[in-house]
Amino acid sequence: MAGRTVLSVSLDKSRSAFVAAARQHLRQPSCRRALFCSFAPAQPSAGNLPGYSTAHRRQSACRFRHCQVRASSSNGTGDYDYDLFTIGAGSGGVRASRFASTNYGAKVAICEMPFDLISSESKGGAGGTCVLRGCVPKKLMVYGGEFAESFEDAKGFGWDSTRPGLTWERFMDNKNKELDRLNSVYMKILANNNVTYHEGRGKLLDAHTIDVDGKQFTAKHILIATGGKPTKIPIEGAEHAIISDQILNLSKVPKKLAIIGGGYIALEFAGIYNHFGAETHVFYRQPLPLRGFDEEVRNFMSEQYQQHGLNLHPQHTPVKIEKAADGTLSLTAEDKDKQKVTLGGFDHVLMATGRQPNTQNMGLEEVGVKLEKSGAVAVDKASRTSVPNIWAIGDVTNRLNLTPVALMEGMAFAATAFGDNESFPDYENVASAVFSSPPLAHVGLSEEQAVEKYGDVDVYTSGFKPMRNTISGNQGRGFQKIVVDAKTDRVLGMHMVGPECAEIMQGFAAALKIGLKKKQLDTVVGIHPSSAEEFVTMRSPERRIRNKQPVEAHA
Amino acid sequence: MVSGHSSSENYDFDLVTIGAGSGGTRASRISAQQYGAKVACVELPFDFVATDEKGGAGGTCVIRGCVPKKLLVYGSAFTEEFRDAKGFGWTAEERPPFNWKQLLQKKAKEVERLNGVYKKLLRDTGVELIEGRAKLKDRHTVEVELSGGGTKTVTAKVILLALGGKPVKAPIPGKEYAITSDDALVLDDLPEASIVIVGAGYISVEFSGIFNGMGADVHLMYRKPLPLTGFDEECRQHVSENMTKRGIKLYPSTSPTKIEKRDDGKFTVHYETEGEKAKTIVAAVVMFGTGRAPNTKNIGLEDAGVKLSKKGGIVVDEYSKTSVDNIYAIGDVTERLQLTPVAIMEGMAFTATVFGDKPTKPSFENVPSACFIQPPLAYVGYTEEQAKEKISGEVDVYVSKFKPMKNVLSGRDEKTLMKMLVEVSTDKVIGVHMVGPDAPEILQGIAVAVKSGASKAQFDSTVGIHPSAAEELVTMRNATRRIKCNGKA
Repeated sequence: MAGRTVLSVSLDKSRSAFVAAARQHLRQPSCRRALFCSFAPAQPSAGNLPGYSTAHRRQSACRFRHCQVRASSSNGTGDYDYDLFTIGAGSGGVRASRFASTNYGAKVAICEMPFDLISSESKGGAGGTCVLRGCVPKKLMVYGGEFAESFEDAKGFGWDSTRPGLTWERFMDNKNKELDRLNSVYMKILANNNVTYHEGRGKLLDAHTIDVDGKQFTAKHILIATGGKPTKIPIEGAEHAIISDQILNLSKVPKKLAIIGGGYIALEFAGIYNHFGAETHVFYRQPLPLRGFDEEVRNFMSEQYQQHGLNLHPQHTPVKIEKAADGTLSLTAEDKDKQKVTLGGFDHVLMATGRQPNTQNMGLEEVGVKLEKSGAVAVDKASRTSVPNIWAIGDVTNRLNLTPVALMEGMAFAATAFGDNESFPDYENVASAVFSSPPLAHVGLSEEQAVEKYGDVDVYTSGFKPMRNTISGNQGRGFQKIVVDAKTDRVLGMHMVGPECAEIMQGFAAALKIGLKKKQLDTVVGIHPSSAEEFVTMRSPERRIRNKQPVEAHA
Repeated sequence: MVSGHSSSENYDFDLVTIGAGSGGTRASRISAQQYGAKVACVELPFDFVATDEKGGAGGTCVIRGCVPKKLLVYGSAFTEEFRDAKGFGWTAEERPPFNWKQLLQKKAKEVERLNGVYKKLLRDTGVELIEGRAKLKDRHTVEVELSGGGTKTVTAKVILLALGGKPVKAPIPGKEYAITSDDALVLDDLPEASIVIVGAGYISVEFSGIFNGMGADVHLMYRKPLPLTGFDEECRQHVSENMTKRGIKLYPSTSPTKIEKRDDGKFTVHYETEGEKAKTIVAAVVMFGTGRAPNTKNIGLEDAGVKLSKKGGIVVDEYSKTSVDNIYAIGDVTERLQLTPVAIMEGMAFTATVFGDKPTKPSFENVPSACFIQPPLAYVGYTEEQAKEKISGEVDVYVSKFKPMKNVLSGRDEKTLMKMLVEVSTDKVIGVHMVGPDAPEILQGIAVAVKSGASKAQFDSTVGIHPSAAEELVTMRNATRRIKCNGKA
């Protein structure tokens, strides 16, 4: 595209005049072999949105000789190939596309890179991170690992079950078959909803033109749903480390595994491989894992992780990874006293040290889409970027990187852009879960957030031994916590550690969404015997906090 | 109302509770601890099987109901795990040897521990626990035949009857050969040969799941075309299919007519299936799950003037008050909604009313409940059939059937069923039903939302927890059908 001036967006009204001129121009034979057509006039800065000068308009006229108009569609797409072109067929992109198409009658295309289990600049696949490299394969592996505990627990219940052998290849095969299946399910969803699929890497040429591996398409709206990818920290020997894409696809279970990072991804994989028999070490800089979660819950998790057999190395900052002659890896970290500690014999070192939005080399900045410092696409409440006909949803916007949030953003986008109904995703009381062992789920505020925001807070807690463990002998324990605004009695947050907590929390999330009061919670009859019933039977606060200070417990 | 603050000048106690099950224990200790009442609680000596002379603190729930049942459900569910593990690469034995005695010993130990916990709860809150059999002498006097010998007579300002219930057998010839759920929880051996379970209420259905999971050959006979009368019909159908897939033999529209003992110690069960000739089946064990009766005999209730219903339950008003002003009754003995947490709610409402000067009615609306068959069933609110009868106007029914993620790899041919009923005129969610793994855990929070009046739009605005089964309940976008209901507004 050498010599091509980058175009940006304009007001649609002005566009129509411009389009007419373009059409006129295109009747000239000189234009036929041209590659693309951009109707929008050039605009030096995409940031200042609607206004553009006649000078710009004049400027852009010269570009007509490179133009070729896409067939103007018969179904109201106006002068573009599509009403919507989505880049990225992950959860958010697919949802937005099918809603735009099926619910609002838009003509929609989507592009996605060819399928691969490991993502790269040229590989991806319909389904995206969630289906291929995240939620789904992770959860399948969590299920797989949990059997190890079942075999052990079964003994307590009278079953003479020794821990059986494991055919790892069969498991990985079955898992990958399922991912293949889901990938085609996503393709089918698109086809069934009349969303045209273009395989390849999408790149913006201007505010209305997308290049997919050399083919150009124009669209009235463009949706960036390109997701994110794992990043490594730049330490010596980082090249020896693997990332989460890879740990989902190991050829065998490591005997000894090091994980760098204390976030949920790190701890989920720690649980999985610990269950499959790896000696698992987790290194993180903070004193506690799971930063951002409720502090008391983090403390509890830390105990439980150790009880489950994880080797935790808090306040350890990794500095170096080295490969030994036998192929094993050693990890050197600085502890809190700045002492260097080296542990060796690892088959793998996993870096679960964060993710970054996929915004490189796709023409975003060139067409005027502003990025945040983190590299994420900057968007307004309605997921609009700095270019008004370009939108972005999901992990690429780095708001709340969760699949169902991307879905919500996608549906809100479709309603706004095609449903004439300006809709904003609502980030309040979004529940989420960590599928570590034990798992953790929560909705709403942590105690710290609640105290900070409301000052007067009542905290109800309950530690419990899951009923199953009374017989199994499993030492794992559970924990539940309710954070209440003392002034209004509103439930601000609920937290749970223990079996099935991710399933349990969903209904409470629905209740919090409608402004649940503690008093209402107390009127609900328990389902007996369950773990969840504890949440409706917590009657006396463990502590009261007034003006951000703890006052007497148990009034 | 009786003031708890006044001294019990004329009586030995402010409150005497008869029965230390879930409801009685809760009411007694809250009255004592929270309202300062002087309380005694009378309970029979401990035994696993309840009789006129045996019982134990903790009652049905702890000793011969919810708790031991759930422990056995956990135990039997491991066969599912062994089987499902294969798809996840484990080379597990499908059915490793199982030691029933060992499990029952552990279960017994846990039940005994909990019995101790209940006694301690009472003692720690200052409730005097009197062990023996209570009888009402008059509306203020209770005579206890002490388990250690002798009698003790106590007077009370208020008497609370929390006597619970017990299993009953269908009245057919040879019923003496059949066992009840009490006995089933303490069987010496797991039956190697067939076990016939009669009745298909939730208790029978749960036991059929337990015994089937542990490897017994289970035959379930019931009068209706589907098991679990009272639950949502579509769910009943789904559970019934699941049970068949898991190897439980179902005999719908069937009634046993006679049980005979054979020379080999087994039993011949004669039964009739609608439209078919009478048949027989040989069983090692016959269990009756044919209902429960309130414990109201030989307590002197009639002498004190306490009115009973035709079925023998104690008649109470909305505040759990009996026909006698100072005598109250809660829990299964009142035959309202026979669930532990309901008895607890009734007990709490009773104490607030009587000792807290705060008249409180228990609320029976949107009480969730579960059946721990495998996979379990749980629900809150209206069934589709109830909606048709009681709602006026239209109701949208959302139905979702899906393969749980775990089953994709395990290959288990079982789907989860979720169902939501929404009143069209108000958009209120009036019923939620689920058959599938973790249904009872999932429905608790859903019950909170439903009880708090959540609308379908509010459910839809809730972000899912991914990947979970429960998220399906907040992502049901299109109604499966709209039904016309003919109830009165």
